[in-house]
Amino acid sequence: MNKPLTEIAGYTNWRKKLILMLLVGSLSILGVSLICLNFGVVAINPKDIISLLLNGTQDKTKNLIIWQLRAPRIALGVITGAALSTVGGAFQGILRNPLADPYILGVSAGAALGACIGIALQHVTGYLFASYLPLFAFIGAMLSLYLVYQSSKITYSANSTGLLLAGVAITFLFSALITILLAISRKELQSMVFWLMGDLSAANWEKISIITLPAIIGCLLLFFSSLDLNALSLGEEEALHLGINTGKLRIRIFLIGSIIIASVVSFTGLIGFVGLVIPHIARLLVGPDHRIMLPASAFLGGIFLILCDVLARTVIAPTEIPIGAITAIVGAPLFIYLLRRKNK
Amino acid sequence: MNIFKKYILVFTFLLFTLNLFLLMGSANTVNYPLTIIDDTGTAVTIPQEPQRIISTAPSNTEILFDLGLQEKIVGITNYCNFPEETKNIEKIGEISPLNFEKIVSLNPDLILAYAGFQLKEIPRLRELGLNTIVLEPLTLEDTFKSVEMIANVCGISDKDSLLIDNLTQRVNIIKSKVSKIPISARPKIFVGSTFETIFTPGAGTLFNELITLAGGQNIAADLSFWKKISPEFVAQAEPDIIIVPVGAMNQEEESKIKSNISQRSGWSNIPAIKNQKIFIVNEDLFYRAVPRLVDGLELLYGIFYE
Amino acid sequence: MADNNNILTLKGVHFSYNDNREILSDINFYLPKGELLGIIGPNGSGKTTLLNIISGILKPKKGEISLLNQNLNKLPIEQIAKFISVVPQDTWVTFNFKAKEVVFMGRLPYISRLKGETLGDYQISREAMKKTHSLSLSENNIQEISGGERQRVFMAKALAQTPQLLLLDEFTSHLDLNYKYEMLNLLKKALKEEGLTIISVFHDLNLASIASHRLLLLNEGKIEKIGAPQEVLTKEIIQKAYGVKPILINHPSLKVPQVIM
Repeated sequence: MNKPLTEIAGYTNWRKKLILMLLVGSLSILGVSLICLNFGVVAINPKDIISLLLNGTQDKTKNLIIWQLRAPRIALGVITGAALSTVGGAFQGILRNPLADPYILGVSAGAALGACIGIALQHVTGYLFASYLPLFAFIGAMLSLYLVYQSSKITYSANSTGLLLAGVAITFLFSALITILLAISRKELQSMVFWLMGDLSAANWEKISIITLPAIIGCLLLFFSSLDLNALSLGEEEALHLGINTGKLRIRIFLIGSIIIASVVSFTGLIGFVGLVIPHIARLLVGPDHRIMLPASAFLGGIFLILCDVLARTVIAPTEIPIGAITAIVGAPLFIYLLRRKNK
Repeated sequence: MNIFKKYILVFTFLLFTLNLFLLMGSANTVNYPLTIIDDTGTAVTIPQEPQRIISTAPSNTEILFDLGLQEKIVGITNYCNFPEETKNIEKIGEISPLNFEKIVSLNPDLILAYAGFQLKEIPRLRELGLNTIVLEPLTLEDTFKSVEMIANVCGISDKDSLLIDNLTQRVNIIKSKVSKIPISARPKIFVGSTFETIFTPGAGTLFNELITLAGGQNIAADLSFWKKISPEFVAQAEPDIIIVPVGAMNQEEESKIKSNISQRSGWSNIPAIKNQKIFIVNEDLFYRAVPRLVDGLELLYGIFYE
Repeated sequence: MADNNNILTLKGVHFSYNDNREILSDINFYLPKGELLGIIGPNGSGKTTLLNIISGILKPKKGEISLLNQNLNKLPIEQIAKFISVVPQDTWVTFNFKAKEVVFMGRLPYISRLKGETLGDYQISREAMKKTHSLSLSENNIQEISGGERQRVFMAKALAQTPQLLLLDEFTSHLDLNYKYEMLNLLKKALKEEGLTIISVFHDLNLASIASHRLLLLNEGKIEKIGAPQEVLTKEIIQKAYGVKPILINHPSLKVPQVIM
């Protein structure tokens, strides 16, 4: 009874659907990445890019631009977009709230506060403080994670409402602290604001090597909870009746998701809208079954973000528009359009 | 002597003369490769005389022009606005975040950067293999040292000494004049702004240093760096002169600013307002660590005492 | 009486939420295999709470519950889900799954998260939809079908879970008359053919009377009476519990009491 299945009893084999989507997704990401490699401040011929990728080139400048600047930026964009979308989708599932995004549980506020403190302390850490920033951000994120978890235990014993409330409260608290920090730091104000708006331009291969493993392993772990997330959408009690330990599931998703977000956001700043909108698009395209929807979100998120990044760095070059602004400008109308379609 | 030896002699003589000629031909006494320690404490090695310089801060751009190095500049920021000729130089965009792609594409062999909020961009510049020298002038003396460093790095250390001597002399003139004025006779100065919210420079800022050198007493001298202060603080301090640094502005706007400040509630008893001693000045003379600071110094002295 | 023939036994069960007032007091009864027990009682008497206690998602403050001679509250919920399934009163599904996908979720207690489902799981789901006459709704979105249609889908899901004990919470409230009786017949069939035991909370006394082998009348958290419909639906007992004096007649063919307004 464990043979691979075709369409039977009216059910499509989800494995087939998944493999198909993985294929389409991977090819799309590759294709779009190559296209994005063509865009930037400096015009480089597509032919040159291809020959550079295959053979390397004597032109040191072109090599530097493609390999050290554009390629890591695109790679970071793919990982970030995928991570944000997957966690966004998982959080929407676990909180049974289609308006949830990966920042709703307060981790991002912690990362932001950590980063801003790091920037404010640059006199202490010296000129290499830029390399310490992700560490500050990550510690801040872990702190808010801890606070949210403890707060939710006090109130509703870690059910959805309890987590949500704790997340909102901690976000408000940390945002207030950030505001105070912004107010008293005239010199570092600009750096802080820019960090808060999100930025892929500081990508390099070292950072990518640090983020990739946690992001991929975390997302895979989330994928494994797909069936449980499906059941949770029937209701808390319904899921319990199906034998799912919802309390443990919630903690698991919350922890894994938060660690993924903390890792990524510590390097990229706060890029919004991706985690909110992309899961909805994924659901429209492949349906609400988390086993297909979460991986689809990952691919769509990666593609969306690197396309937004192209806009961010070409529209008013050489000045760059913060990527968080682009995702919002593109994401908000998209979201409204999706809602209208849904209600028709 | 046989023919062979003659040839050797002539050949060696010519070689020697040629070398001498080459040595003298280089107007600078600087030898490349050259290693210096910049303001971040990093040792940077410049392999040869820079020909393609990118300045990522308005102050560095000005200094390059002052030293006559403008021909070598290949890229400046959107904010490098002095002198006029900066209009024609290619722009690399913002001060922070830096557009690395643009910078790399211009193929520079030297980058003159600034600390402050640009500090976090520096590791990345160095990662990309670009010779980056970071300057962080906090005082007038630091500014002169920056001019020296840039001149050194670019191989024209003799030119800069003329410039520095001239500047130092002007500063000393002011210093000696001020030393003859007793402290009680020195006016109290408040640096205001065109905004409702008041940010004023305190100890550690260039502005404060210039005010003190020019013989003024900054009412914010006990605060450190730039601080937001309340209008009450100003009213209580009763400054004799109010200085308002602005960007480019016309006559009409200037008189508007003066009347706005004069009519601010609670300030009617301030000596500066009663005596209408409100002066609008060009902010670039006071915010940038460049030789023009001395112009600013002289301007202040003129406002305080003439 | 703990008996091998009893699926469920409750002994001295008390329940309250936060040490406030007791919702359920001193509940004692047993449930033999193959019986349909109807739980009735006025609003607020604790019917749904009792159902939740039996399904294991609420834990009693005092007392013991045996499921097939094992302590229910010591069993992990994955185990319980293989024995007991629940049809809720109504529920909002957050995401727009297809009806067939919802029914398939009933198989979750049996599906290994690593290996995934088997052919058998799909077949059982389909069979369950057939039994509840919801097969035609397979491809419809769960958020877009009517209340009654949703009830049938959730019934199918509960059956797909292949339980030994089926719990229903006022499941007929949204159903049209014809579907009400069709579901009832389905339940009776399930009792006989699949050896199911059923507990159903009823709002409608007459339906309860027709459907159930025994009735349990709950009043203010206590068992007012448990027994055959004739024993429970008497004028005195109904008056005590509901505060109204009913007119009772005998159902012409089924010979069970019916309440007339």
